[in-house]
Amino acid sequence: MILDLSAEANEYGREALRAFEAAGGDQLVQRAEAKPDTRETLVGTILAGLGAWELDARTDTEAAEAAAALCRSAGYWALPYPVAERLARPTDLEVDGLIVIAATVPEGTIAGLENDWATVTLDGDRSRVVGRLAIGRAFEAALQLQAVDGNGAKDVALGLVLPCWTLLGMLDRAMKLTTEHVRLRKQFGQPLSAFQGVQFQLTDAEVERSGLEMLAKYALWSVGTASSDALHDALALRLAAIEAAETVFRVCHQLHGAIGFCDETTLSWLSRYSQPLRRLPLGLSATRDELTRRLGWRGLTGLFS
Amino acid sequence: MGENAALLRRELRELVKTHVPDGFLGAFTDDPADLETAQRFCRVLAERGLLCLSWPKEFGGGGASIWEQTVVREEMWAYHEPRGAQYMGVNWVGPTLMRYGTPEQQRKHLPLIARGEVIWCQGFSEPEAGSDLASLRTAARRDGAGWRISGQKIWTSYATMAQWCFLLARTSKGEKKQHGLTIFLVPMDDAAIQVRPIRAMLGPHHLNEVFFDDLKVTEADVLGQVDNGWSIVRDVLSFERVGIARYARCERLLAAAPSVLGERWDELPAELRGRWARMLTHCRRARLLAYRVVSLQSTGRIKPADAAGYRIAVTKLDQDSAEVLMEITAALPRINTAALPRGDTATDYFRAEVEDHWRYSQASTVASGSIEMQRILLSRAMLAAS
Repeated sequence: MILDLSAEANEYGREALRAFEAAGGDQLVQRAEAKPDTRETLVGTILAGLGAWELDARTDTEAAEAAAALCRSAGYWALPYPVAERLARPTDLEVDGLIVIAATVPEGTIAGLENDWATVTLDGDRSRVVGRLAIGRAFEAALQLQAVDGNGAKDVALGLVLPCWTLLGMLDRAMKLTTEHVRLRKQFGQPLSAFQGVQFQLTDAEVERSGLEMLAKYALWSVGTASSDALHDALALRLAAIEAAETVFRVCHQLHGAIGFCDETTLSWLSRYSQPLRRLPLGLSATRDELTRRLGWRGLTGLFS
Repeated sequence: MGENAALLRRELRELVKTHVPDGFLGAFTDDPADLETAQRFCRVLAERGLLCLSWPKEFGGGGASIWEQTVVREEMWAYHEPRGAQYMGVNWVGPTLMRYGTPEQQRKHLPLIARGEVIWCQGFSEPEAGSDLASLRTAARRDGAGWRISGQKIWTSYATMAQWCFLLARTSKGEKKQHGLTIFLVPMDDAAIQVRPIRAMLGPHHLNEVFFDDLKVTEADVLGQVDNGWSIVRDVLSFERVGIARYARCERLLAAAPSVLGERWDELPAELRGRWARMLTHCRRARLLAYRVVSLQSTGRIKPADAAGYRIAVTKLDQDSAEVLMEITAALPRINTAALPRGDTATDYFRAEVEDHWRYSQASTVASGSIEMQRILLSRAMLAAS
């Protein structure tokens, strides 16, 4: 297992953070929301400049770590682009990206993008996206599919893990914004950070965030080593990621107070654009059900199983 | 962790299987045979160089990596800590003596710990000094070339069986209450020390009161510098906070549940099995957070807040997993509780293990630094860094 990404992957992540900031930072998602069909020109070119599309996250563990770091940086800026899905593209289909979907309600955050996409269900059924209809407020689109084959089981774990890295980046940012806010904002003559009730909420959120970070590294390692447990590990990660996001965003909104709901604060944007990552392809309960069903009697691989 | 760790894990499981009787729920029950089991098991570990595996060889250890010591912690805690109270000597008394002890103190105490022949207790908490430890009132006053100590400690685990106490007392009044504190290494067989057990849900020997009535000690019993004991306390607490691999027992019990329940497992409410899966995820999370702390320790980069985050996660896991396991075992047929802790079947034993886990977990957010103290440490670091 890995407890840290490589120094090179971390440096790549920092380079991406700088590139996204230079291209507009928090403004990117706001511009893309106004004109979803500009997403490719707005962001795709930056990613190409970073060499994102040369990363082979499937067969090269160093590239997989770099891909994870890139997704995390994308999440930090709520980058209005499905980076994780592009990086999870299968090698045996002529497509630009892969979306893991729920079999019953296929959706993805590709509104406004013209690329060629494939989808895969948790059981490995693959399809091509042949039509899309924008339906949500965070670039969600209902997908019209054409079946390809049932050979996608090997694609699912990576397709679940990388978006969790994006969500992790969002939580990193939300926590950073909130710790800065509570140090500056004064009530009753002292900073919010002086109140123990505030401090304790922050720590509970941080434990969730840091725990998610460790599970994300574990699942990435599991996928990278082609472990037979990779799908279980990816679902366990997803379960923890959704739970962590719920705690972190609730705390961050609470500690920001009313200002956190206003679009002049980044938290408002992060919070709402975290939603597709938390609901698609499966939300909290469905993810837990899926994990439980697949674990059966065996449990997660660990010290005693 | 590598192949060495895997081999070590197998060896430890074999030793537990061979030397720890069925139905064992820890050394500190009302049955003296359990304490004898622990003492015997410590000798077995010591003979194989496994008791103080990661201690430097010069101090009687095996010179192994901190990761191998982590395996020992995991395996021992998972199987109800068959080393008994020895884990304290190994985890924090010994390492603290190596760092702060005089050569005489090291020669006197470390070999005994390394051989598993001595039990230590920790004289920190007092009735008026729990989380606010530096407010303690136990006082040591100069008496010629030595000291006289009077005061009261409370919640002192294993004091009834300990031969030595790692005692914190006030030696002067400094500018801050953390100043003027000193650590004394005190023999527990002195007539000036009285121990009174406190019956508790954790078990009969976990909690005690200890009274010091004009206890005479010498300068040679002082650990480190007089009045500078607080820096040692901080080190002790950081050793101690990652010393118990609580996640390992949680994980072992959770992993065993389906096979113990057999066909009843599939009849459990789906929601309960979902909580079980969630707890397994939280076990992994706590284990990885522990490994991060161990990694930081091994490179000397550890700060108090690093261990605090892990402690919050693992103590909550302890309690949450206990609740889930108690609900799971409710599906097992009722047994004669008078037969506990030694039921006749694997099912009885599992039920007793879970019940013991639940009882002990209630204290996990209080012992070794309350969860509130961990939150204070972590929030300080977060707010300082932002």
